[in-house]
Amino acid sequence: MKLIPSLLLLITVSTSVAATENEKAEPWLERLAQSLQSLNFSTSFVVVKNNQAEPYHWFHGVDDNGDELEILSLLNGPRRDVLRKKNIVSYIEPELPPYSVVSQQITGPIPAILRGDVNSLAQTYDFISVGRSRVLGRPAQLIRIVSKDPHRYGHWLWLDQKTGMLLKLALANRAGQLLEQVQFTHLDITKELSESLRQLQQTQLPKVIEIPEGYQAQSLQWQVSWLPAGFTKVNANRHRIAATKKPVEFMLFNDGLVDVSVYVNPSEDRQRATDYVMDGATVVLNQVVNSFEVSVVGKIPAKTAKVIADSVVLTASAAP
Amino acid sequence: MSENKLETVSSVADSYQANDEFIEELLNDAHLSATWERYHLVGDVMRGETSATINLDIAAQIATAIDKEPSIVAPVSSATAQRQVNKVKATLLQFTKPFAQVAIAASAAGLMVLGVQQNSTDNETLLPATQVVKTMPLGGVAEPVSLNFQPVSRTSEKQAFIAQQRRFQALLADHQQQIKLSSVDSSTSSIQNKAEDPAK
Repeated sequence: MKLIPSLLLLITVSTSVAATENEKAEPWLERLAQSLQSLNFSTSFVVVKNNQAEPYHWFHGVDDNGDELEILSLLNGPRRDVLRKKNIVSYIEPELPPYSVVSQQITGPIPAILRGDVNSLAQTYDFISVGRSRVLGRPAQLIRIVSKDPHRYGHWLWLDQKTGMLLKLALANRAGQLLEQVQFTHLDITKELSESLRQLQQTQLPKVIEIPEGYQAQSLQWQVSWLPAGFTKVNANRHRIAATKKPVEFMLFNDGLVDVSVYVNPSEDRQRATDYVMDGATVVLNQVVNSFEVSVVGKIPAKTAKVIADSVVLTASAAP
Repeated sequence: MSENKLETVSSVADSYQANDEFIEELLNDAHLSATWERYHLVGDVMRGETSATINLDIAAQIATAIDKEPSIVAPVSSATAQRQVNKVKATLLQFTKPFAQVAIAASAAGLMVLGVQQNSTDNETLLPATQVVKTMPLGGVAEPVSLNFQPVSRTSEKQAFIAQQRRFQALLADHQQQIKLSSVDSSTSSIQNKAEDPAK
């Protein structure tokens, strides 16, 4: 009987059907947020993109004081670890000395909003409960987070019916093509903290880096005049790109689920045609117009990135 | 002769022989004392008595390697940056002791920092997380592209292509870095409230 509404959905994505399904999808997402915050779990997952698989370990737990502990480790290649104790997140990566930031969330393949208030996305995304399937040997509920406009990708979530935990996550374009997948391969939910988390408890994290006040809210001599609805500016600064040492002006936008970076810098070339590459669902787009190089990076369709890049306008005083 | 002496050092280290005259010579000869020290270290390692010392030594090396890395937030004045690096170095040493697994991992990462820098300055950002699959001129025809792909045409075109690939890699890496630093400011207040109120 449950299949009938799902079939209807597949045939016509009418708003009325979506509305009735809404009532079912949101409790699932709220339950997911609860599980991600409160359960002691130890899991492994694989990020599948570009015909490649990146395996991760992910531990989470809550200690006796109610503080969260979290470890996310990339298992292939140079070591990349993210450690979190309550609101201190440390990144241990080959490119940089270990550092910490004050944050309630780790940055990784799983969008942080899934452990937060998903309802804050309701302005720009619909939540649709699609149906049941079997994932990781468990009965799972498929929930789709679908953009209301055509400028964004959809997120598909398979949730454990028993615990509400995430079992699989996929980013899909509007044609339903999967661009990037996170497939869990193992999930243990325990009463006690795992050994790794107990070690983390004893560990002193690297020093929190002090970001000078106002550094992330600098006034730049240009602006982005078009972005899909719901994106707000979360960072604006000048910095050097580590790999090339090139100075850039930078703005970061976020719609709650997706981050989009815009870079502007003077270029030696006068014009360069728009070019882009895809890394899974992440597009990197670059063009030079009138000696100014504009680049856009984020998990958005290339078309959207192109429109964003074209919408960058220099304010008068920065003109060459 | 030297061979012979080294053997004697070995025996002395193993407490088979304790010839005063030889020990005198050993103490005066820099080369022999170093050998003496090494043999003892080997013995200690085999008996598992030195882990702390060795860890700290490696940690110091990583710290030096890390010291040479560029700072994260570029406009911070060099003095502040240096202070930050020093602080991280200090905490890294503390970090080594209680969390042995991570310490070892960090050592491995440290060695890799050196390895990557020495061997592949050309494509240092070529990490699995930042691998790029295909490039397509917008509105143009798809080109079959991998890092091994060689356009048949002129070298300048090839250079432009490589430069473009490098640009893309650098941007992707920077995008990921900036997200990590910006999450400080992102609107997590609702999450914060929820986190403070652990479920059941």
